[in-house]
Amino acid sequence: MRWGLPALAALLLFYPFIFTGPFYWDIGVAFLLAAISASAWNIVGGYAGQVSVGHSMFFGVGAYTPLLFYHLWGLPPVAGVPAGMLVSLGLAVVIGMPTFRLRGHYFSMATIAVAELIRIFVGTWELVGAAIGLQGPAVGRAWWDLTFRSELPYYYIFLAVLAIVLYTTFAVERSRFGYYLRAIKAGERAARSLGVPVRETKLKARMLSAVFTSVAGSLYSIKTGFIDPESGFGILVSVQMVIVAALGGAGALFGPLIGALILVPLQTATNTWFGGGGSGLTYILYGGIIVLLARFEPGGMHEWWQRVAPFLTRRKHAA
Amino acid sequence: MLLSAQNVSKAFGSFLAVRGADLAVAEGEIIGLMGPNGAGKSTFFNCLAGDTVPTTGRVLFDGVDLTRSSAETHARAGIGRTFQVPATFEDMTVLDNVMVGAFLRHRHRADARETALRIIEMTGLARQNAQRARSLGTPGRKRLEIARVLATGPRLMLLDEALAGLTPTELQQAIALVRRIHELGVTLVIVEHIMEVIMTLAQRVLVFNQGHVIAHGKPREIVANEAVIEAYLGRGHRRRREAP
Amino acid sequence: MLLAQVIVGGLLLGAIYALFSSGLTLIWGMMNFINFAHGEFVMLGMYVALLVVVWLGGGPEAFGFAAAFALFVLGVVVYLSLIRHVMRGPMLAQILSTFGLALLLRYTAFWIFSANFVSLPQVSLSGTLNIAGILMPVPQLVAGVAAIALTFALHLLLTRTTVGSKLLAVAEDRNAAMLMGIRPDRMQALAWGLAAGSAGIAGALMAVSYPWSPSVGETFGLTAFVVVTLGGFGSVPGAMYAGLIIGLIQALSAYWFGPIYKDIVVYALFVALLWLRPQGLMGKA
Repeated sequence: MRWGLPALAALLLFYPFIFTGPFYWDIGVAFLLAAISASAWNIVGGYAGQVSVGHSMFFGVGAYTPLLFYHLWGLPPVAGVPAGMLVSLGLAVVIGMPTFRLRGHYFSMATIAVAELIRIFVGTWELVGAAIGLQGPAVGRAWWDLTFRSELPYYYIFLAVLAIVLYTTFAVERSRFGYYLRAIKAGERAARSLGVPVRETKLKARMLSAVFTSVAGSLYSIKTGFIDPESGFGILVSVQMVIVAALGGAGALFGPLIGALILVPLQTATNTWFGGGGSGLTYILYGGIIVLLARFEPGGMHEWWQRVAPFLTRRKHAA
Repeated sequence: MLLSAQNVSKAFGSFLAVRGADLAVAEGEIIGLMGPNGAGKSTFFNCLAGDTVPTTGRVLFDGVDLTRSSAETHARAGIGRTFQVPATFEDMTVLDNVMVGAFLRHRHRADARETALRIIEMTGLARQNAQRARSLGTPGRKRLEIARVLATGPRLMLLDEALAGLTPTELQQAIALVRRIHELGVTLVIVEHIMEVIMTLAQRVLVFNQGHVIAHGKPREIVANEAVIEAYLGRGHRRRREAP
Repeated sequence: MLLAQVIVGGLLLGAIYALFSSGLTLIWGMMNFINFAHGEFVMLGMYVALLVVVWLGGGPEAFGFAAAFALFVLGVVVYLSLIRHVMRGPMLAQILSTFGLALLLRYTAFWIFSANFVSLPQVSLSGTLNIAGILMPVPQLVAGVAAIALTFALHLLLTRTTVGSKLLAVAEDRNAAMLMGIRPDRMQALAWGLAAGSAGIAGALMAVSYPWSPSVGETFGLTAFVVVTLGGFGSVPGAMYAGLIIGLIQALSAYWFGPIYKDIVVYALFVALLWLRPQGLMGKA
């Protein structure tokens, strides 16, 4: 599939000009955002096998800080992005330490609990808007407020970030760190016996994942201009990251992309067809897809393709 | 002494799996560890490898006290081990498995890859390079585990029943491999039930039963040792052997 | 006196927490598996109770039994069709399976019943007792007592009956149990049935006194996690004590700090537990 990567890049680059108009651009932006968050999660959940269902804690932090910087000090939201990254980094370390000993389901449960705790807490904290949340600049004061009327600039900013996240994941995959991550997922005890510094590696993975997830959150709140405890720290935020990555193939570089490619249009479709009740149906669909995925193809589309592709190419040669 | 275990005991609750076991291994030796199932050999191994912390006693490697150190530290110090039930990274390829080991001594992918390929060649797994570990049979997995730990460049290797369940041909190949590893300068401590392996490879043998060492000596001496026979076969057999 | 009332109220609710958490801890102890849809089982129990009362005009015994039975069946079905298969697979699949189930059940309930809060129409039990100056609404009192009795019954089932010892054997050592002729698969299916059934009946008991909507499943699930963590992985008696303690803490937090804080204190306790004593009060380390 040598031509695959350039073709994909070209498609993503020119998508807004092939599918024009706000409707398609909106989907494009949603797709990119889903791909970015899921790719960020993938580092720790897919490669290292640490199934965190509380990543919304980093997303939320990244989403709140830009609007907080605007709300408190009138600064352009972008200025808050690095702060979000730093806080997320700190959070990853603080959360990381007590949860290292926890394994499997217990670990996942812990991540949910921590994320929920943060969500409820933020909902009571007046400084950050409590249950009402925060808003960004309604009208941009200058270009650096990033309040564009059209989706187009957002599309390309998000695309650039996606490229960075994917490239980083690619570099990690090929590095010692990446091999160690996979070893930990495949067998922690054996990994230890080979000198893999398990604790350190897990921590690094969590930190990296946290930073990227934070950026995803920042992009979201800058674009929508609004954030509240539910949209920032809600469990559905965490769940979406996981399902997008898992559907495409957790632990595969392009898994999250594939997952987003399937799920985002699907979500848009159900929302459009069923109108108001649409979002309820969307989650029924999500739930059903997740269950089927877990039951029949836990490796996601990526795994499915690897099983099926040899048969397809063989046929081509025979013919 | 490269490896020295002094009065090592390990208790699980009230159950004493290992009691006051001693072991002294000089650099370049091949030591055999024998004993019936449940005698405490694997637990003892785990103490030596840092997988478990002994309840009492000390483990010294090259003069350094590693008793309370983690398995990672043991590996970095130069102790490698295989597992009784192969613990290969199932979803990773053979090459990737070995590379994980190689990364202990190399920072960069290219160097790790080179070492891994060399070792894969040496252990006869070259043709299965790109296969997932899960697709290898048990003998293949055992060989992969050996290759993987060899790639970490250990000074001492603990092999836990690495040659079990092989066909006669495979067994000969495996024995040859172990010899080659020894020739590279690696000190070996091997747990085995197969007499042929012990007789042909081990220079000294320790026999475990119920948590402690009941016999210690050259292979020929051990095989004739009353206590050893009794441990394996039970009282009745000892009497039978004495009859003409 | 108000404080005493708060305490009693908390304990009564805690008894119900104990009941539905005991099922979760049973499964966890047996299979090292956390059912992320457990809260939804409770929520469904509540709706079954509603349906029985509204459609069939049933009384407390009827809807309690119906909820227990319906959820028991659901639990077994879920185990046989889904859990049994994902147990053999990667961790991600295991976690996603019950998560997906939770979403499925929750949003299907939203779709069928809408997001409005509902409550059970007035049942035969009503009124308030005044014991030593403490006012206790009869429905809550009966529900709480029933919950404790049922939790205790579950404990007895596990420790005093043959079936129970088989279940515990599988929990202790699956392979050894197989060698003794016990079928782990059957026992695990039974465990899921019991867990879901007890969650269902707990829901029915709660429906008697509290209004609900499909959203409550999420909260109950988290509460169950806290109770199970406090009580110790696998311990039903632990879940019993922990349930009461959590109910108490919740009520006191609401009383002293305000209703918004009742959840914060409980979750903060949870996080602290995970950090300091993950094996809980009575669990194996």
